[in-house]
Amino acid sequence: MTDLTRRTFIEAAGGVTALGTLGFPSLVLGATRRVVVIGGGVGGCTAAKYLRKLDPAISVTLIESKPTYTSCFMSNEVLSGERTLDTLVFSYDGLRRYGVEVVQDTVVGVDPVAKNVQTAGGNSFGYDACIVSPGVGFKWDAIAGYGEQIANESIPHAWYAGPQTQLLRDQIEAMPEGGHVIIVAPPNPFKCPPGPYERASQIAMYCKHHKPRAKVSILDAKDAFSKQGLYTEGWTKLYGYGTDDSMIQWVSAAEGGAVEELDASTRTLIGLVEDFQADVINIIPPQKAGAIAFAADLVEGDWCPVDKRTFESSRHKGIYVLGDASSASRMPKSAYAANSQAKVAVAAIVAGFHDRAPDDPTFVNTCYSVVGEDFGISVAAVYSLDAATNMIEPIPGSGGVSPANASPEIRKREVSYAHSWFKNVINDMME
Amino acid sequence: MPSRIASTGVVCLLAALLGSIIVPVAAATTTDADQGLMIDHFDPETGKRIIPNERCLICHGDDQQKTDVRDDGSPVQIFVHREQIESSVHGSLQCTSCHVTIDRVPHREAPAVIVGCVECHRETWAEHKDDPDGEYERLAVVNEQIDSYLQSIHAQPHALDQSHTNATCYDCHQGHNVGELGSIQRAEFRLNNPEVCGDCHEAQLDEYRTSTHGKLVLEDGDSDAAVCSDCHTTHDIAPAETDKAKLAITQNCGNCHEAAQRTYFKSYHGQVHRLGYTDAAKCHDCHGGHLVKGEDDPTSEIHADNRLENCRNCHEEANENFLSFWPHGDAHDRENYPELWGFRVFMEILIFAVMAFFWVHVLLWLFRELMDRSQGKGFVEDLSKPDLVYFRRFPVVWRWIHFLFAIATMVLILTGTTLLFSHTAWAKAVVEFLGGIRMEGIIHRTAAVIWLSIFIAHLAIATSNIWRKRKTFEWFGSTSMVPSMKDFCDLRDMFKWFLGRGPRPQFSHWTYWQKFDYWAPFWGATVIGISGLILFMPDKTSLILPGWTFNIANLVHAEEALLAAIFLNSVHFFNVHFRPERFPMSTAIFTGVIPIDEFKHDHRLEYERLVEAGELDKHLVHRPSRRMSLAASFITTVLIMAGLALLTLVLIGLVTLPR
Amino acid sequence: MKNNQSVIAATAVPIGLSARLHILSLAIIAMLVLAPAWVCAGPSGQAMSFTCAGCHGTDGSSVGPSMPAIAGMDPEVFVDAMKAYREDKRNATIMNRIAKAYTDEQFQEMAWFFASQRLRLFPQPYDTVLAERGAELHDDYCEKCHEQGGRPGDAGTLAGQWMPYLHFTMEDFLNGKRKWPRKMQRKVDAAIEEAGDDAIPALINYYGSQQ
Repeated sequence: MTDLTRRTFIEAAGGVTALGTLGFPSLVLGATRRVVVIGGGVGGCTAAKYLRKLDPAISVTLIESKPTYTSCFMSNEVLSGERTLDTLVFSYDGLRRYGVEVVQDTVVGVDPVAKNVQTAGGNSFGYDACIVSPGVGFKWDAIAGYGEQIANESIPHAWYAGPQTQLLRDQIEAMPEGGHVIIVAPPNPFKCPPGPYERASQIAMYCKHHKPRAKVSILDAKDAFSKQGLYTEGWTKLYGYGTDDSMIQWVSAAEGGAVEELDASTRTLIGLVEDFQADVINIIPPQKAGAIAFAADLVEGDWCPVDKRTFESSRHKGIYVLGDASSASRMPKSAYAANSQAKVAVAAIVAGFHDRAPDDPTFVNTCYSVVGEDFGISVAAVYSLDAATNMIEPIPGSGGVSPANASPEIRKREVSYAHSWFKNVINDMME
Repeated sequence: MPSRIASTGVVCLLAALLGSIIVPVAAATTTDADQGLMIDHFDPETGKRIIPNERCLICHGDDQQKTDVRDDGSPVQIFVHREQIESSVHGSLQCTSCHVTIDRVPHREAPAVIVGCVECHRETWAEHKDDPDGEYERLAVVNEQIDSYLQSIHAQPHALDQSHTNATCYDCHQGHNVGELGSIQRAEFRLNNPEVCGDCHEAQLDEYRTSTHGKLVLEDGDSDAAVCSDCHTTHDIAPAETDKAKLAITQNCGNCHEAAQRTYFKSYHGQVHRLGYTDAAKCHDCHGGHLVKGEDDPTSEIHADNRLENCRNCHEEANENFLSFWPHGDAHDRENYPELWGFRVFMEILIFAVMAFFWVHVLLWLFRELMDRSQGKGFVEDLSKPDLVYFRRFPVVWRWIHFLFAIATMVLILTGTTLLFSHTAWAKAVVEFLGGIRMEGIIHRTAAVIWLSIFIAHLAIATSNIWRKRKTFEWFGSTSMVPSMKDFCDLRDMFKWFLGRGPRPQFSHWTYWQKFDYWAPFWGATVIGISGLILFMPDKTSLILPGWTFNIANLVHAEEALLAAIFLNSVHFFNVHFRPERFPMSTAIFTGVIPIDEFKHDHRLEYERLVEAGELDKHLVHRPSRRMSLAASFITTVLIMAGLALLTLVLIGLVTLPR
Repeated sequence: MKNNQSVIAATAVPIGLSARLHILSLAIIAMLVLAPAWVCAGPSGQAMSFTCAGCHGTDGSSVGPSMPAIAGMDPEVFVDAMKAYREDKRNATIMNRIAKAYTDEQFQEMAWFFASQRLRLFPQPYDTVLAERGAELHDDYCEKCHEQGGRPGDAGTLAGQWMPYLHFTMEDFLNGKRKWPRKMQRKVDAAIEEAGDDAIPALINYYGSQQ
């Protein structure tokens, strides 16, 4: 029997009341707080929406260079033809309905002293708090012969969804039967750790139906990858992995998977051990924080150090860095992580506006991968901040990946839940 | 919760005014506003789920499915009657106010029926007893009943299974169907009472069904006839074999059978009962408890054919004569009990006449002496000259006889009047102090034997004395106790003196009132002695006398004793001790002597006769020793106090005597 | 708070017995007074509940197509479910892994949060014929526990719930992968006896039709 005590009740009721009363004094005092959110991805959108949700008195401006949002998650299903690219495109109107001012512009700088944000459009936005959620940028020079222009023309990275995704999809469709697709997977850390492997799976699923003799190879800069056991199980079951006939090959760094150079003209990848030629090449370059983070002087090394209790930048007060660009070990760079971090940062910002100390943070990450038809897998973790190590640590005994050798019903349900996850994350961040 | 809703509302309103927030409602609908939030279904104080009665009645009020199946497959009655609950006194309560263990609906596990009637009624009463509107005042009664219940056998742990009580509130009361005072539900509850009790007390119910009560209630629906609780009480129920139960039941018969109880209480049986003892017959001993039937019913225990058997339950040697005993004989009922009525009237006239005469005598005497004294007349001791010469009035034997007589009489009065005045608290206290009704009987009879023995011993001595002096015995001599014409003249002259129409008469050795005191016990001993012996030995008596002699004996024994008790402790005390010449007391009966002056004053004729005959000196003695005087004063004081106390108790009994 | 208590306890050591007892009693009182505050520390119920939104929708109103809505959920049902997941007593895909991260108190705090939300329902496609049949079956076999057409309550949330989720749930019950609540099996069996293989789809369509 559950004992829902008065204490927990009042806490819950108090928490709910906060939704209302937090905004109330600000209105009365007439001190409208301004928050500028840079970047209209998961982190930025979630932060903008929840700021308005928690305190409608806060004025929120979201600055994003693109007119619409295109989700990277589920974009691998475009590659297999399971869905079209337009199902990944979402308007910012949902945020506008929450009262967020959405500005299409490119941020060129943030002045942490004057507390304003400058844009390429020549505008300046003053702020009381600034949220920077720029996503990842690519280290183009890590693979010789590869660059942004080649990516746009012939060898897509497709690690930001949109035209890149469509380009890769078109190339796969155009590939002759018996063709060879190579995916170059980046070294850690990079955004969406299971992404390259789901991509290989989705392409294999397409090929299984349309080009059954085609092959998909992953050239990896690592010797292990996310959900590896489950992928191996799925690949074995669906794509003959482990046999000579396998549609999917994974070449670990140790096996010569690390790629140093690209010859775009011959579609040849030059590795340390051997070279690889393919019909379609998808290079996912090594990654670092997005450009704005560098422009705003928030980066140390490749990523932005933050106070993990609030996600406030360790380098500049009043600036909060969310999502892939932040250094949030041990959270992965995932959509769900960014969504979760955004809520922690928002709670901290709102608390700060009301001169309260921030609550202890709590984070969740869940990530689904669709390995093939009726074969979904997931990873989940609940995190808390370990004050001693200043690390966001998974709560012991919890989390983990889907069980090995689960029943077909469970695998099938996880596909369904993957799609629900997608809809609900989009809903929670911007609808 | 209202404050939370309000504050949320205020914010929404402000937000809407600012035009800066529009909750996206595009494709979504929300659950009806009138459903409220789930959190509103919980008590903010306790965090407990609020389960509306309607929710319970969805299943428990469905008359299409009155039973359900337990987890073990056995059927269980789950139906509760909605209208019944709503019109009951508990109609405004939540189901869960009583069914406190129900916290989930549907029930996650088989619910334990734990209903805390006692706690709730106590707490509610404590909370509301000072309410001015008196809405809860009935709870005062309920709480009294609870207190009674908690003392009762029903509240004791079950002998074989100590985990539960013999019976609890809802074994008898249907909590869902407790009607308001005067409601149909209550009337039904009353008529159903035997069946409810019979759920456990099956054999008793079977017997009850055959009884007059049972037939009226169960067959005719006559709610005036007795149901179980009328006799056994509703809540203060004691095991049937205990005195408490027997006494209560017998007491409760009188709630309906008033006349029968009144007459029963006049009988020895009833007097014992009223003193709180079960040793004598109670209603159910003769009438049968659950089997009670009219005397015309051949199966009735009081039917003529069965009655002797019935008497023999206690009076093992009872014979046919017992049957003419009137267990409910009423001395005031001339029509049905003329003999008894006659004896009562005679005895009461006697008492009235004697007491009236002597109290008038006392009052006039008091008046006269006070008048004389105020005028400086009459007998006044010379206090400056102590009495040195005394006259011997009583030999040792007489003094002892009087002493024992006094003690025995007082003991008899005390023990006897407890029965006569069994309604009084003092009577109950005395019986308890003496060690119970049986001990009291022993004491009473012992005292009676002593009293009679002395009486007979005196007769023997007197007779032998007279026999020895038969040649010379002067039946009307100066020291004779035999009443003579002079006594009547003295009485007449005394009244004249009282009224100031003559001098105080001069008396011989014995005054007329002393002779009365002497002879009265002859009458008393006869009446009380014979009636006492009858009552003492009912079985033997019944060999020769009809049963109604017990009724007569009981009556005259009591009336005569009453007369004696009042006379001795008022008139005798006045004549001897309290009249102003003697006040506060005369110790002559214990010292055996009186001052010569006093003798001269009270018995002048005898004094003069003795002086004339030269015999006075033979009777003169020295003043009694100081020790003797003190002892005599002490004993006299104690006896007077005891006598006055007895008189007080008797008067209290008489004044409070129920009709 | 824990530290404060140990400081008090530590100072108690070197002094006399009666004083020690006195200070010990103070420490116990302090512990009683401060204990709730100490338990309070950690993330708020709201913060924890916010982390669920990525799968279950903002404030628990899932937009589907299969993740169940938990907004407006009965708090005790919520806690029961979470405990069952945590203890691996309920067939799960992911919730068992997540539930293991929380204490009973945290479940309760989240339960109150979701109980304080109004459930928003989103349209989902359903078969009108089956839904009508389902409505009849519901009235005959389900309504007593799943009152008012299965609106949120102590028997969970059925009305407007996402149909695939309901389907998974019934699959688990019927395949013995989830323990039937008391009496439910009898009722479901009776419904199946009446309506055959259509019974479960009919009921699910009925619940899905309530939008």
